[in-house]
Amino acid sequence: MLWTVPVQSVSPQRVIEHVSKVLLGKEQQIRLAVACLLARGHLLIEDLPGMGKTTLAEALARCFGLEFKRVHFTSDLLPADLTGIGVLETGSGSFSFQPGPLFSQVLLADEINRASPRTQSALLEAMASGRVSVDGTSHELPIPFFVIATQNGLDQTGTAPLPESQLDRFLMRLTLGFPERQAELALLSGQAMRPEQLPALLTPADLLALQQQATAQHAEPSLLAYVLDLVELSRQGSFGASPLSPRAAQSLLAAARAWSLLEGRDFVIPADVQAVLPSVCEHRMDDGEPVGTNGAGASEAGSWSQRLLAGVDGLR
Amino acid sequence: MSGHRRLQWVALGLLATLLPAIDTGMPLSWGAICLMALTGLKLREARSRSELRRSSLLLLVIIGVMAALLPGLGPSLIQLLTTLLALSSLLALELGGALQLRTLLGRSLRLLGAALPLVLVLFLLVPRVGPIWTVPMGQTARTGLSDRLDTGSIANLVAVDTPAARISFASEAPPPPEARYWRVLTLHSFDGQRWERLPGEDSLNALIPAAAGAPMASTREQFWLAEPTLLPMLPWSGQGQPLDPELRISPDGVLLNNRPPIERRAYGFTNLSAPAAWKRQPPRDAALELPAGINPRLQALGQEWKATYAPADRVAAAQRWFLSQPFRYTTQPGLLPGPDAVDAFLFDTRIGFCEHFASGFTALMRAAGVPARIVLGYQGGDWVPQVGGGGYLDVRQSDAHAWSEVWLADQGWVQVDPTAWVSPVRISAGQPISAGQAPRQFSPLGWALLQWRGIDLRWTGWVMGFSRQDQRALIERLLGTRHEWLGLLLVAALALCLGVVLPLMRWTQRRRDADALRRELDRCLQRLQGLGLEPLPGEDLGSFCHRAGQQRPDLDAVLDELARTYLRQRFEPPQPQDQRQASSQRLRRLRHQLTRSPAAAPSPQG
Repeated sequence: MLWTVPVQSVSPQRVIEHVSKVLLGKEQQIRLAVACLLARGHLLIEDLPGMGKTTLAEALARCFGLEFKRVHFTSDLLPADLTGIGVLETGSGSFSFQPGPLFSQVLLADEINRASPRTQSALLEAMASGRVSVDGTSHELPIPFFVIATQNGLDQTGTAPLPESQLDRFLMRLTLGFPERQAELALLSGQAMRPEQLPALLTPADLLALQQQATAQHAEPSLLAYVLDLVELSRQGSFGASPLSPRAAQSLLAAARAWSLLEGRDFVIPADVQAVLPSVCEHRMDDGEPVGTNGAGASEAGSWSQRLLAGVDGLR
Repeated sequence: MSGHRRLQWVALGLLATLLPAIDTGMPLSWGAICLMALTGLKLREARSRSELRRSSLLLLVIIGVMAALLPGLGPSLIQLLTTLLALSSLLALELGGALQLRTLLGRSLRLLGAALPLVLVLFLLVPRVGPIWTVPMGQTARTGLSDRLDTGSIANLVAVDTPAARISFASEAPPPPEARYWRVLTLHSFDGQRWERLPGEDSLNALIPAAAGAPMASTREQFWLAEPTLLPMLPWSGQGQPLDPELRISPDGVLLNNRPPIERRAYGFTNLSAPAAWKRQPPRDAALELPAGINPRLQALGQEWKATYAPADRVAAAQRWFLSQPFRYTTQPGLLPGPDAVDAFLFDTRIGFCEHFASGFTALMRAAGVPARIVLGYQGGDWVPQVGGGGYLDVRQSDAHAWSEVWLADQGWVQVDPTAWVSPVRISAGQPISAGQAPRQFSPLGWALLQWRGIDLRWTGWVMGFSRQDQRALIERLLGTRHEWLGLLLVAALALCLGVVLPLMRWTQRRRDADALRRELDRCLQRLQGLGLEPLPGEDLGSFCHRAGQQRPDLDAVLDELARTYLRQRFEPPQPQDQRQASSQRLRRLRHQLTRSPAAAPSPQG
């Protein structure tokens, strides 16, 4: 559908177009990732290695003009490796804080389920509170602060699944999936750009303004009713999924607002909710058991969400 | 011609129907007529929106003026209707003609409804400005009782069946027919043939203030609505106190109207059982005057009674005499000769009607040395039961009557009706005075008219009967003696009205709009279902329309517009009303397009 798009000084649409030049054929996922960023949420990407997770994270960071760091989680990674440590300075004899990779605007946490629960927990606490405590001193994380975590399927060896409470900290869970033949052909023939070639389209200030705008998107009471109907259906015992929490409802609305902004509207419609619902709600409903990470699993991943969406009247 | 202009013309036309009723003697009514002419001219030549708006506002001003001129129920209803039309045309103007007439009228009606609490507050609490309320109400005066009694003058009246007054009673039961005497004026001066009022009879210093005597009771026991006459007096029963202290009772027991007699007058009475002070007022010298040398037989008979009986017995003697003579009641007595007309009636022709009997009896009493006078008024009245309980007494000009009063030292003024001796049926059965007149027949129209007059009476009782005194009483009950709070109370009441009614209206409007929108969508979906296009479970409108548009490429554009219009309307931040209305109408138009579309997509091969 065509909407008369209000003129925006900074267009997230251009970001999506540019990132699409790097990550070919994945416009929907890129759009969801941008929506997640605009909704001030963190993103969990579940997929096999080599599917373009890092490329996506790096391209997003560059386009938004954000500082980007990457940490590969291993089973022996310690919390201090993330947060940073106090270092004894020989001159003054006092400890000075050496910030770890957590102190960046975009953090790519690779294979988060390979790390020990303790380290996972440290990351997730930082994500939730926006600050890190080291040696009794509190350090503010930068703003914006956006974590893209990736994880492999549980069938892979040496992984510790994220507990439900921590999955809840991620606004969205995405799977990238295999590219289509056409897109992969383009990739092979070298038509894809490299993330480093992308220009910085926006500044962090622009991003903050967009985030502000996203929270201000208008949601009519009838739309809120739709969100509530969805959440309430998930809570019925006969539905079978883990019930959606009030935070899930908040997240759903926030993501739908950001999505509506990307659609060029200043108000939210049920289609926005439907568009973001699988990414926002699936990982909260499937008991933390990630489904198969191969591309074929994508349809399986939508199952709870699809049942939920089919169970509530979308004509509002 | 655009819709709002037509509405304005209709409103103007309706107002013009009120023109014959207004009194052209009032400067204000000329203002109203000028305004109406002006509005008509303006409407003819108006081209721009602002000019049309001005003519609409002018209409509202005219309605206001009309309301001051004509406060009756009928004119009020017409004024209400014209207000509705003028408001609707204003709305149509402001909304750019987006609304249908029915919606427009409904919306204007709701606006009027919202103003109702305001009207009530203003009516109850805003202090009355005297002059506005007492401007003559523009009823042209009609013939009623005359202020003199001459041969034939009342016989002329009997043929007139126009309304004279309506009376309602708190007890809901009217007095029995023989007690239905409604006095209007008394006649003292007699030249042997003609009875007239004394010059200067109602001069101000000779009045008994209405409030004299018992303390004012607040309950209204009797309510009158008298039609305009040429006389400065009002009919009343002779009992009780007028609730309006501006009404005065003369020593002769005449209720004097303080306002020009050309207006319809509403007034109430209380203390009906209290003794009437005027009955104890000693007679004037004129009450014994008889022109000497005229009517010698009458004089002789009077002298005889005077010599024979005590004053109280002279009335009984006169009754016996009247009953012993072959008097006959008729409305065609013929002319009576010469200066001794009363003699001729009493001793020669002996046929006549109330006027003749009253005249003869009063003259006889004077000859017999008993102070006596003629009373003119109405006798009788039809009891009209109202649908829904209650009723009123309908007094007509044909109920006009003349009777006598005699002064007896120990009883005061005593009412004597010699007509009742001669023709008791006329009084007790409430028969019209003219024997030849056919009794009123039942007709649906006549019945409806009587009912309408009853409703009008009640309306007048509420609206016009809410006097300054009632208002003061209400304010005192609300505020005690702290009158300085009145302004504050008024402002608070207004603020309450505005603060509650307007948001309520907006809320219901939005809900209604939303519901109307949804109904419209459901109709569209029904139509699509008829075309074999149904939404999947949980599908949202956008995807459904997109999918349906792929199935039916010929409908793609319509469906796309449908989804966009509806979703925008439904989920956008609240918009001004005209936009919402416009989208509803666009949706309706799309539905009509869907209805016209063929059941199956035209195949590309043709």
